[in-house]
Amino acid sequence: MPTNTPHFINRELSWLEFNRRVLEEARDTEVPILERLKFLAITGSNLDEFFMVRVGGLWQLRRAGKNRRDDSGLSVGDQIAEIAGRTHAFVSEQYDCLAKDILEPLAAEGVRILAIGQLSAEQQRHIARVFDQEIYPVVTPMAIREPVNFPLLPGFGVNLCVRLAPPDNAPAEQLFAIIALPRASSRFIGLPAVEGLQYILLEEVVRGFVERFFPGNTVAECSTFRITRNADLSVSEDLAGDLLEQMREVLEERKESDCVRIEVSQGASKAMMAFFTAALGLDECMVYEATGPVGLAAFAKLVAMPGHDNLRWEPRAPQVGTELRSESIFDVLSRKDLLLFHPYDSFDPVLRLVEQAADDPDVLAVKQILYRTSDNSPVVAALARAAAHGKHVTVVVELKARFDEARNIQRALALERSGVHVIYGIKGLKTHAKVCLVVRREASGIRRYVHFGTGNYNEVTARLYSDVSYMTSREDYASDASVFFNTITGYSAPVNYKKLDAAPLTLRTRLLELIESETQRAQQGQKGRIMAKFNSLTDSALIEALYAASQAGVEIRLNVRGICCLRPGVPGLSENIAVVSIVDRFLEHSRIFCFHRGGDPQVFISSADWMPRNLDRRIELLVAVEDAGCRERLIRILDTCMQDNVKGRKLMPDGSYECMKPKSRKDKVRSQQVFYRAARDSADQDEHVLQKVFDPVLPAASAK
Amino acid sequence: MAVNEQNIAVAASVVGKAPGPKPMAVIDVGTTAVRMDIAEISATGDIRRLESLQRAVNLGRDTFSGGRIRQATVEECVGILQAYRRVMEEYGISSDDQVRAVATSSIMEADNGDAFLDRIYITTRINVVPIEESEVNRLTYVALYRLLEKEVFLKEGNALIIEVGGGSTKLLLIQDGAVTRSSVFRLGALRMRETMEKHRTPADRIRAVVEEHIERTVEEMQHGIPVETVQNVIAVAGDMRLTMSKLVPDWKEGETAKLVSGAFAAVEKIAVAPADELVRKHHIPYHEVETAGPALLVYTRVARAFKAKQIVVSTLSLREGLLVDEAGGGLWTESFTNQILNSARSLGEKYDYDRLHAANVMELSLTLFRALQQEHHMDVRLGVLLKVAATLHEIGLFVSNRSHHKHSMYLIQNSDVFGLSHEDMLIAALVARYHRRSQPKPTHEGFVMLDREGRIAVSKLAALLRVADALDRRHTQRIHDILLSRDERRLVITAPDVEDVTLERLAMEGKAGMFEDVYGLKVILRTGVTPGEDS
Repeated sequence: MPTNTPHFINRELSWLEFNRRVLEEARDTEVPILERLKFLAITGSNLDEFFMVRVGGLWQLRRAGKNRRDDSGLSVGDQIAEIAGRTHAFVSEQYDCLAKDILEPLAAEGVRILAIGQLSAEQQRHIARVFDQEIYPVVTPMAIREPVNFPLLPGFGVNLCVRLAPPDNAPAEQLFAIIALPRASSRFIGLPAVEGLQYILLEEVVRGFVERFFPGNTVAECSTFRITRNADLSVSEDLAGDLLEQMREVLEERKESDCVRIEVSQGASKAMMAFFTAALGLDECMVYEATGPVGLAAFAKLVAMPGHDNLRWEPRAPQVGTELRSESIFDVLSRKDLLLFHPYDSFDPVLRLVEQAADDPDVLAVKQILYRTSDNSPVVAALARAAAHGKHVTVVVELKARFDEARNIQRALALERSGVHVIYGIKGLKTHAKVCLVVRREASGIRRYVHFGTGNYNEVTARLYSDVSYMTSREDYASDASVFFNTITGYSAPVNYKKLDAAPLTLRTRLLELIESETQRAQQGQKGRIMAKFNSLTDSALIEALYAASQAGVEIRLNVRGICCLRPGVPGLSENIAVVSIVDRFLEHSRIFCFHRGGDPQVFISSADWMPRNLDRRIELLVAVEDAGCRERLIRILDTCMQDNVKGRKLMPDGSYECMKPKSRKDKVRSQQVFYRAARDSADQDEHVLQKVFDPVLPAASAK
Repeated sequence: MAVNEQNIAVAASVVGKAPGPKPMAVIDVGTTAVRMDIAEISATGDIRRLESLQRAVNLGRDTFSGGRIRQATVEECVGILQAYRRVMEEYGISSDDQVRAVATSSIMEADNGDAFLDRIYITTRINVVPIEESEVNRLTYVALYRLLEKEVFLKEGNALIIEVGGGSTKLLLIQDGAVTRSSVFRLGALRMRETMEKHRTPADRIRAVVEEHIERTVEEMQHGIPVETVQNVIAVAGDMRLTMSKLVPDWKEGETAKLVSGAFAAVEKIAVAPADELVRKHHIPYHEVETAGPALLVYTRVARAFKAKQIVVSTLSLREGLLVDEAGGGLWTESFTNQILNSARSLGEKYDYDRLHAANVMELSLTLFRALQQEHHMDVRLGVLLKVAATLHEIGLFVSNRSHHKHSMYLIQNSDVFGLSHEDMLIAALVARYHRRSQPKPTHEGFVMLDREGRIAVSKLAALLRVADALDRRHTQRIHDILLSRDERRLVITAPDVEDVTLERLAMEGKAGMFEDVYGLKVILRTGVTPGEDS
């Protein structure tokens, strides 16, 4: 690698590499077909968000005339061009994957998506009925004579653009019409079928009947398209006024932002393309031709179709230890700390903490942060119930959780109505920490129970994301949690923590100190070692500190699922750093850090990625885990992740990723499988122990 | 006479104890911040702190610059205390006896200090009680007591305990474990700054002026304390923990840190660093920086002035004192009473008092006080004030033989005795004043300032002191052990080992009139024979 290569990998290109790794899963024949389709849909929704937020941001910069080079040496223009080039290739690969790797084998399994010409007579009658009754009444085409009259279409909707042939004796004027497909209608319309499952796409149905909208006209062509709008609207929280109101405005505003991408179905004429670029002010590179249905994210709905379990992962039930099943969570936590690794370990103990707190007469108060929760969340219900039971319930609801604002506003208002003291986040900072505190009055006095997590209080995603929960009733952690809540609720100025560090105040400094102390140990001839697992690494100060550590001889093993701007393995810079990314069945989401500290490792879990937004603009927590058992388990988790050579890909110095090649079948390590087996074995062992406890039948007198 | 000092102390400390841990909130409304600690106090008096909260306020700034707490500040404090009320409720703290809230006296310098506290009470039901600096000193001692007991190096030799607040600096001198001096200086971190702002001191002069002011105060502190007799300076720094944790990175909560003389320069560097720098670099809140800077300077300057080897930094604060107090470890315990008396004796030494006479009169007064408990119904506090008055009743002789009782009163009233409030000192001063000559009259200076209860107490105590003083008329302590008996109209005092009490009887004739007036009992002084009807 040339010596003048920048020290940093460009963040956007690194993200594209991540999405490519997800696509590789969609193409992996070892993965069940419907799961592959799910991975493909994820690449689609990932790309949607990427364009809306990141590419949108770059276009904003470009339009504002800012073209500064970033740490990787790329200007804004370079990045836009590079992204477009790579994404065009990526999109064609996505559609290739859809056609060859998914739809073909899916058809072999009896699941088909049919074109209108492939329908049987009965199916044709069916869709005619569907069109007449469900589509036609709710769809209104908008005729457009001039591109400036192009309607304000919301982002991510599926639309048809119809070019009408001019009447015979009229001048050759182009007449276009737009048909926005109803969002409430299913994109995949089920068809009556003799065997298997057959679907037709909504846009295909409308195309089939499109002439009905234009009686007396001739439809020259009809193409499907979907636009992506820029969403990087920075809400200035320092502005006066109600934050809630402001967020509502953002939601409104999002519909009107600039267009940053258009996906058009294959075959659109030059005239139609010219119409789009003129009407939406598009650059040529923003136009993506789809050789299949636009908006691949929609296939997530098809994945959810009933049946066909043979085409999915075999179910893996999250495990719950025996004592957690039979005892109150308070009793367990009074005795010991708990470390749960979801989804291998069940999320139930976390839910039970909140639920038992709601119903336990001795509980005085519950405090919790909600960032993203599920619909009908049992956590939210328990918090409302706790308030109804007269407990003091404080909930910090983060309204700014991206794209969850609407749900969060509803949730906050509902909680307030049930008597919960709701705090709408912190001005200027997103509250991303995951912590729950329960205050309970016991015979020996007040006892506080705390849960710290790396993932959200969302029992649905807890079955899909790998995250860590640490639960304890230790005094230091409890008092730190109290301090934390007092700080973010504005009740108290920040004071020193014993076991925590919080962003934006001390987390960054603490991480730098931890890296620095490994560096110093290595410089003094001791062994220095850092293992860390997180979702993204983009912070230049931390990366520089890691480079310095590497140069001092610290062995650094990173497990970074997504973006990684650090360039590993560069001689003289980072030869002691190895980066592995795992993309597998469960979304890698936990943040675990381990610093060797001369043989007495310091282990942490955190809600924060190593990104400036997490360290400087969010409320995040770094939790030192000192319980020997929990600490050992976290180290084992890290070790296993670093060894994954089946779903782990190694980051190369040039920013690309390479699959690892285990020498033989028995050398294969697939971390998620290892974790699942370990959790299952541990539960089995519990069961075994339980069965060994005999329950003697006592004489009636002594039984009393 | 089975009652002894210890019994009194124990009797006082067991009052109000409930079984099981009791959650308590202690609140300190200070010049720069409103702080609250939530803790549990066990039946055995152990304290377990659950939460500490603090919010910056401009109370000191308003008071020192404009003499008035601004409405916005009042409302801010109300908001903070409402939030604190909520936190209290989260711990099941709901009754008044679970909350102790105090405001430092600097705040009461504001014209609307009373109205401010009333507004807080009306809106939050938190009764914030203003406390004097002497009480702060007492609470500081109470907080530090365990530390002083635990650390051998603090027990032996002399130590200066210093607390620099927003409005004043409090100083305690501990000599071989005994509090011998308790003083308050109007050197407040915030007061200095506000005064300078008020007088528009040029920015480039501020540091010099502050240092000058500190130097002057340190010189005052040195008065009467020989240099090189102080081994340790103990900094009470519970409210500047963040700053301290930057100076001593390994400092653990609840432990003391030692700053040896070699580190003073580094401490001073932080002390004079611009506030913005400390906030930006070390994330220390402004309200702490504002106090911490000058405070650090005071600590090092005091340590340097006394050539102390080290500064012992404690994380304790006024709120710790309030908690220990609530746990029964503070007010009027034996150790605390001893420290009050140590401090009173130290004052007596200053005015060259007759130590043996003072001690004997104090013991005799105490014997009378205990024996007549049924008659006077006075509490432990007044018993301690009697001891202080008895110890110091003749210090006026330092000024002049003539009317020395009035000089005694003046000197006591204008001195600091550790642990005693202004009102306590006034009562002790008046009791000393009335140990001879005129009985109290409503027109007498000082006496007129007391409420009815205070006046009655002065009369009751002075009557006892007069009798005790008459018993040691000769200043030879030959009557030191007395037996008391009484009937409906007489108190019979028997001095068992003394044959001739003529002189004392003579003295008693002149002095016992007040006793007869107050208690309705004639004093009979007998010698030699053991009476059969001891009470």
